[in-house]
Amino acid sequence: MTDLIRPVVTDNNRGFWEGAAAGELRVQRCLACDHLRYPLAPWCPVCLDERWEWQALSGRGTVLSKLVFHQSYHPAWKDRLPYNVVLVQLEEGPRMISNVLPLTGEDFAVGDAVEVAFDPEGEVTIPRFRVAG
Amino acid sequence: MSWDKAAITGVGTSRMGKFPGVTSNQLAKEAFVNALGDAGIPKDEIDGLITMPGTTSPEGAKHYLALGELLGINPRIAWSISMGGATVGTLVTQAALAIEAGMASTVAVVFGDAAKTGGSRFGAAAGDDDSWGIWGMFGNAANSAIAASRHMAVYGTTSEQLGWVGVTMRKHAALNPNAIMREPFTIEDHQNSRMIVDPLHLLDCCLISDGAVAIIVTSPERARDNATHPVRIMGMGQAHSLQKLEKEDWWYMPHQREAIFDAYRMAGVGPTDIDVAQLYDNFTISVLLWLEHAGFVKPGEAGPFVEGGERITLGGELPVNTAGGNLSESYMQGWLHVVEGVRQMRGECGPRQVPGAEVTLVTGRGMTLNTSAALVLGR
Repeated sequence: MTDLIRPVVTDNNRGFWEGAAAGELRVQRCLACDHLRYPLAPWCPVCLDERWEWQALSGRGTVLSKLVFHQSYHPAWKDRLPYNVVLVQLEEGPRMISNVLPLTGEDFAVGDAVEVAFDPEGEVTIPRFRVAG
Repeated sequence: MSWDKAAITGVGTSRMGKFPGVTSNQLAKEAFVNALGDAGIPKDEIDGLITMPGTTSPEGAKHYLALGELLGINPRIAWSISMGGATVGTLVTQAALAIEAGMASTVAVVFGDAAKTGGSRFGAAAGDDDSWGIWGMFGNAANSAIAASRHMAVYGTTSEQLGWVGVTMRKHAALNPNAIMREPFTIEDHQNSRMIVDPLHLLDCCLISDGAVAIIVTSPERARDNATHPVRIMGMGQAHSLQKLEKEDWWYMPHQREAIFDAYRMAGVGPTDIDVAQLYDNFTISVLLWLEHAGFVKPGEAGPFVEGGERITLGGELPVNTAGGNLSESYMQGWLHVVEGVRQMRGECGPRQVPGAEVTLVTGRGMTLNTSAALVLGR
């Protein structure tokens, strides 16, 4: 696994990755309108206020869409084929692109309940999911 | 009442396929010369040049500058934009509006790409600081696979139903001497083709091609003086979902419906008035979504509608992509959909002509399921 794709850590996402390392799935909460936002951004796309804080989520969600990659598009993923990618609806509202562990697993379906799982990958911990229960 | 403040009087294409050593601007020049010939006008009537840079064009947003110098055009209006598959509809709209406003009289709308030779893979990851590539999510096939997976789960759409779109587009391409892929295939071939991003097989995916397209837009008055049969621009629409994960129904691309219904309203038509449709088909699932968004069927009903292929082929209720589409004719990012729409309205399509066709819908969508544009063209 060469050339792993890493986050470009900025003030907007540092807490997300620190949270993952600490076992917490965090998104931004707008201090003006309470909107929970993901993807991470410098201001709220609803009200444009720039004040925000980190909020930990339950990590519970539902699979909205399930893909299995058979085609390699990047050297970092070539040796991991076939692997799944999911669109997850989180209980508190935001949606994420992620994976269900194990990465090669296909034994789950759209609609399944999932919960966050913190997956160490080199020096970074990546929030991924497991089928719940 | 339809809009009709501008018309398309010429379309031109270059050779289509794989041409090592040929630049995108060389192909664009071929298409431009052919479009001028089709419109029956000399180059000096062109006073607008608006373009889409190809995936291999190094100039980006300054593409108009490079192409204008090469074509020897010093126009009144000029620019380039990139909205993926929605670009051609948007550029034709901009040309038409500029003509209506009196800012230009005859506009060349041009796109050329050497994507096949240049190795364009359409495999980029979305996302900013936190690239979707961290989770292995890359490329245009995967974006459409998100829609396909969800459509299957919510509505019971099947892979075989997607396959019928591919089979039918290929059947149409077999009637088009300019199409790159003309060999028919079956549902079994579709099912046996390798998975790219499950649930999308190889035969759910469009081609990657070298080629170019040019379209000449002018005023109705000038169009009447033309030798060829002008095609009316009856209605135009655009709508975009520039947010992705923040929008709950981003995967379903409901903005496409807004673009189409804006175009319908401007044209004074509805779905039952459309005789033939040119629906952007980067992947088979896209055709199903357009059928639903354009009001030909209700949400969730497109799978059964395309099954068997009869309804969307020649002689069916709604012939779709009569030239073979992005899936089989050539991947010109929807530009050939406008060309085929024009040719159908002129009645020039020979064995694939829809008899008596008077109104066509042309759609395009691009980026990460974000942008959409629609044109209603008329005889």
